Amino acid sequence: MIPYLLRLAVKAVVTLFAIVTVTFVATRLSGNPIDTFLGEGLTTEGREALIAYFDLDRSLWHQYLAYLRGVVSGEFGLSFVDRRPVTTVVAERLWPSGQLLLASVALTIAVSLPLGVLAAVHRRSWIGSAIMVVAFTGYAVPSFVLAIVMVLTFSYWLNWLPVVGNGTWQHFIMPTIAMAGVLIAALTRFTRNAMLDVLGQDFIRTARAKGLRETRVVLKHGLGNASITVISVIGLQIAGLAAAGSVVVESIFSWPGVGQMLVSAAILRDYPVLQFGVIAVAVAVVAINTLTDIAYALADPRIRLARA
Amino acid sequence: MVTLADPIPRRRRRKARSAQGADIIQKVAMALALLLVGAAIFAPLLTAYDPLQQSLLARLRPPVGFDRYSAGHFAGTDELGRDVLSRSLHGLRLTLALAFAGAVIGLVIGGLLGLVAGLRRGWAEDGIMALVDMQIAIPFTLVALLVLALMGSSLTVLVFVLGVAGWEQYARIVRGEVRRIAAQPYLEAARAAGAGPLYTAWRHVLPNLVSPLVVQFTLALSNIVILESTLSFLGLGVQPPQPSLGSMVGLGRDYMPTAPWIVLTPAALIVLLTFTVQILGDWLRDRADVRLNDR
Amino acid sequence: MFRLMLTTALSALPLIAAAQDITVGAANVTPYVDPGRDHSNVGSQFYYNSFDTLIDRDHTKLEPEWTPGLATSWELVEPTVMELKLREGVTFHNGDEMTADDVVFSLNRMFQATFPPYVVRAKDRFANFTGAEKVDTHTIRIHVEREEPLWETLISMQQAMIIPEAYTKALTGDPEVAEDSDFEAFSLAPVGTGPYKIASFQPGEKLVWERFDGFWGQPAPLERATVVQIAETASRITALKTGEADIVTNVAPDQLSLIDSDPTLKTEGSATALFHVMIMNQNHPKLQDPRIRQALSLAIDRDALNEALWLGKAVVPSTHTMAEMGALHQPDLETFDYDPERAKALLQEAGYDGFEITYDTAATYYTNGLLAAQAIMEMWAAVGVNGRVNVQDQWSGGDAEMMTRNWSNPMYFADPFGSFGVMWAPAGPSESEGRFNTDAEYAEKWDRFRFSSDVEARKAAYAELMEEIRQDPPVLPLYRPFESWGMQNAVNWAPLPGHIPYVLDFRAGSISLADS
Repeated sequence: MIPYLLRLAVKAVVTLFAIVTVTFVATRLSGNPIDTFLGEGLTTEGREALIAYFDLDRSLWHQYLAYLRGVVSGEFGLSFVDRRPVTTVVAERLWPSGQLLLASVALTIAVSLPLGVLAAVHRRSWIGSAIMVVAFTGYAVPSFVLAIVMVLTFSYWLNWLPVVGNGTWQHFIMPTIAMAGVLIAALTRFTRNAMLDVLGQDFIRTARAKGLRETRVVLKHGLGNASITVISVIGLQIAGLAAAGSVVVESIFSWPGVGQMLVSAAILRDYPVLQFGVIAVAVAVVAINTLTDIAYALADPRIRLARA
Repeated sequence: MVTLADPIPRRRRRKARSAQGADIIQKVAMALALLLVGAAIFAPLLTAYDPLQQSLLARLRPPVGFDRYSAGHFAGTDELGRDVLSRSLHGLRLTLALAFAGAVIGLVIGGLLGLVAGLRRGWAEDGIMALVDMQIAIPFTLVALLVLALMGSSLTVLVFVLGVAGWEQYARIVRGEVRRIAAQPYLEAARAAGAGPLYTAWRHVLPNLVSPLVVQFTLALSNIVILESTLSFLGLGVQPPQPSLGSMVGLGRDYMPTAPWIVLTPAALIVLLTFTVQILGDWLRDRADVRLNDR
Repeated sequence: MFRLMLTTALSALPLIAAAQDITVGAANVTPYVDPGRDHSNVGSQFYYNSFDTLIDRDHTKLEPEWTPGLATSWELVEPTVMELKLREGVTFHNGDEMTADDVVFSLNRMFQATFPPYVVRAKDRFANFTGAEKVDTHTIRIHVEREEPLWETLISMQQAMIIPEAYTKALTGDPEVAEDSDFEAFSLAPVGTGPYKIASFQPGEKLVWERFDGFWGQPAPLERATVVQIAETASRITALKTGEADIVTNVAPDQLSLIDSDPTLKTEGSATALFHVMIMNQNHPKLQDPRIRQALSLAIDRDALNEALWLGKAVVPSTHTMAEMGALHQPDLETFDYDPERAKALLQEAGYDGFEITYDTAATYYTNGLLAAQAIMEMWAAVGVNGRVNVQDQWSGGDAEMMTRNWSNPMYFADPFGSFGVMWAPAGPSESEGRFNTDAEYAEKWDRFRFSSDVEARKAAYAELMEEIRQDPPVLPLYRPFESWGMQNAVNWAPLPGHIPYVLDFRAGSISLADS
C-alpha cells in the first residue's frame, strides 16, 4: 500500500507542477495585461512606469522562477486589477461555487437514483421508456438554454424567483436546476444501466427465491450494490460536468463564484488571479481524484498491486 | 465534456432492453437526423436570404403570423434585420461542420496515441495513459474557455480545442482493443510468420476497431455540439457576424423578453440536434454490442 | 406550492418603501475606488457621492456655474498662482478634520505624482500644474507653470477630489510616508468628505453607501444605497421587474420599451457627454494614405446608425464638439459627413485594391458597439471596402497591427481639452500608442488652443485642429450614445446635465423616493 500511495503522491505533484507551468506560459504568451486593464489612453511614460510597477519588464524566465518561489512559500501575489492578495480574491469565491455545486449534486442524486431505479424496474413498460426519453432530452438541453428560459418564465413573466446573487434560498432554485439538468439526465441513465446489470445477477435471483418482497430485493440488494458504482462516478465525472456548467450559470445569475471569476480574469489578463484560480481548481480536482483512487484501492486489493 | 462510462456488458443489456417503443423513437431520430443534416448541407438553397444580409429598417421583426411580420422572413429577423431562419440553418451547418471536424481530429489524435500505447509497452504507454488520466481529471470545458479567452478565438483555435476535447475516449478504446487482440493466439502465429507491427495493426486490429469507434464518434458529436454551443454562447467560440447556433443564442439573449424568436429557433435546433445524435449513438452502441469505456 | 414560493420569495426582496434604502443594479462595479487614479466610465459612477472637490459646480445646469465646494472662495494672487480659502468644520468619514495639509497632500499626489497610476493622469491633464502649498490651516495656494485658462474646470475634476493625508499614509508601512502600497490600500478602503461614506466594498461586485452624518453640506437623502453588479442585460432588467433592483444602469435603446410598457417602471436617459468614435491607425502600412481613411469615414451613414440602433435618440455631431463646452461649443463647424460617392472616388484615387480592413470591437463594452460594428461593415461594403469585424475584449489601440476599432472619447471635464484634448494632444495617449502623428504645426495650433486666454482665439485654433483631423483622419466621432437608466416609479432620479458621463449622483436635491 505504501509504495502505491507514494506513486499517487508523485503523480499528484507532477500534475500540479505541469498545470502551474502550462498556465504560466499560456498567460504570458497571450498579450500584455497593461494594455487590457488600464488600456485606453496611456501615455508612453505612464505605460512604461506601470509595466515596471507590475514587474513585467523582467525576463520571462525571471518571472517564472519568482512565481515558483512564491508558490512554494505560499505567496501567490496580488491581483493586477484591484491589488488584493489573490488568495483572498479566490477564497471568497470558492464557497459560493462550492454551495452551488453541493446543491446541484444533492439534487441530482435525489432525483436520479429514484428515476434510474424506476426506469430499470419498469424497463418494459411505458414508464421506463418515458423516463429514458426525458433523460435523453435533458441531456440535450444545454445549461445556458435551460437557464435563460427559466429566467424569462419564472422571473420576468411570473415574478416568482429572484435572479441576482446568492442571498436567500430562493436564489438557489434556478441556478441549481440549471446546473443539475444535464447531471440528472446523465446520472439517471447511468443508474438505470447499473441497476439492470445488478438485477440480472445470481444473488438477486437467490434473494427472490428466498421469498423476499420485490421492493426489498430492488432497494436493498439491487440499489445497495449498484450504488457503489454510481457513487464512484459522482466524484469524478459529475464534478467535471458541474465545473463546466458553473461558468455559464454563474454569469447568468450573477453568482459570485470561481467560474465567472476565472473567465473574467482571463479576459482582463489578471495573471495572478488566473494562475491561482487554476491552481485552486486543479488542487481540488487532483485531491478528489487521488481520494477516489485510494478508496478504490482500499476496496479492491488487486488495484494496489497493479500499475497506478 | 464527459460521457459517463457505462457499467454493464452489452450482451446482457441487449436482452433486457425490449424492442417495443424504442424502435419508434429510433426511427423518428433517424428521420430527424437526415432532415437536420440535409438542412445543413442544403442551407444555401433552402433560404432566400444571405445570413449576413442586414436590413436596418426591418430589425426585430417577429415570425410569420404575428404583428409587424416582414414578408418572407418566416422565422423573423434579428437585431440587425438579418433573416433568423437563414442564420439558424447556416448556424446549424457551421455547428455540424465544427462538430464533425472536432470529432475527426479527436479520432485521429486519440486513435494514434491509443495505437502507440497498445503496441508499445514501457514509457510510451505510461506517458500516454498519464495524459489520458489527466484529461479525464480536468474539467475540459473550463480549460477550453481559458484557452480561448487567452488566445483569442478564431476558427482554427476553436476546431483544435473541439478536437482535443474527446481524444482520450478513442485512445482508451484503441489501446484496449489492441491489447486484447495482441493476446490472441493467431497474432502470435502471424508474428512468428514475420508480419511487422504496422501490418498487424492494419490487417488484424483495424477491422475490430471500426464498430466501437463509430459508436464513440457519434456520441462525441453530440458532446462537441454542446461544447461548441456553450463556448459560442459565452462569446468565445464562433465570432460575429458568422452565425453558429450557440452564438445566436448568446448574442440574442438580451432580446429574450422582446424578441424571443431570435433565441428560440437556434436553441430548439441545438436541443433537437443533440437529442437526435444521442439517441442514434445509443442505438448504434446497442447494435454494435460493444463495450466502451472499459479501462 | 408555487403560491407559497411566491409569497416567501417576495417577502425576501427589498421593498422600496422601507426606509430610504435603494439597490442599484449596475452593468459594472468598479474594481477599485480612487478618484485620482480612475478615469473610466465604470469608475465615474462612484465618486461624486463620497468625495468633494475644492470647487464644485451647479450640476443641474449644462454650462459651468462654479459653486463653493471644500473651498469657500478662490482668487488669482498672481497670474500663475491661485489662493483658495478652505471650508472650516469639514470632517472625513473616519472622523478626521480636514485641513490644508490634507488638501495639499491630495493635490500634490497628483501634480507631483510618483505612484505610476497617478503619473498617467498627471501627464494627460495636470501637466501645467506644478504643486500646491499650505499657507495656513485653512488657506492653500496652487501653482501652475503657464497662465491657465481653465483653472476652475481642472480643479473641479474628479481627479482633484480630496482624501485624508494621515489616514492614507498610515494604511501600510511607515505612517509618516506615502508609499505606493498606501494608495493601493486606499483604493480598497476609500475615505472622503462627501455625504455618503463607503460602508462596504467588494471589488467588481458590490459597493454600499451609507449616509454620513458628519457631512458639511445638506444631509444625504438616502439612508443607504447598494450598488450590485449585474452584468447580464436581461438579468438586470429582470431584476428591476422582480423588485430586486430599484435602479438599473446601461439600458440599451432596444430594451426601453420593455421597461416603459410596465406601469410600475420608468426610464430616464440622455445623450451622454461622450462620443463613441471610430479610430483609424495612421501608421498602419496599408492605411497610410489619408484618402483611404477619409473614405472609411465618409462611407459611414451615422444618421442611419442613430435611427436604427438608437431610435434616433443619439446625437450625431458635425465635429468633435459638445453643447456642455459652453462658449467653446462649435456646432457650426462641419468636419465629418456622409458622402458615399466621394468615398468611392477617394478609394479609387488611392488605388484601394480590396484588401481586408479589420474593425476591432469588444463584445459588450460599449452599448450597441458590436451591432454598430457589423452595420458599419455593411456600409463599407456598399462603397467597396472589404471590412471584417474582429471581436476581442483586449484593448488593441496600442497594437501596430490595429487598423480601425471603436473607442470612446468621454468628456472628462467641460472643455474641448477635456474630451478631444485628453486623447489627441501632442505626445498624448493616441500619439504615444503609435496610431496618431503630430508635427510642429499641429503642436503650435494645439498650444494656442490650450493656453490662449481669449475664447475666440481658442475657438479659432480648435477649428484649425479639427481641419487637420479632417485632412488626415485618425478618428471619427460616431455619436453621443443615448444612455438610459431604468427605475421603479417611486424613484425620482435622472442624470444631470452638469456631470461627466455615468455619475450616480444621490446627493440632496438629486434623488428622492416617493412614499408608496
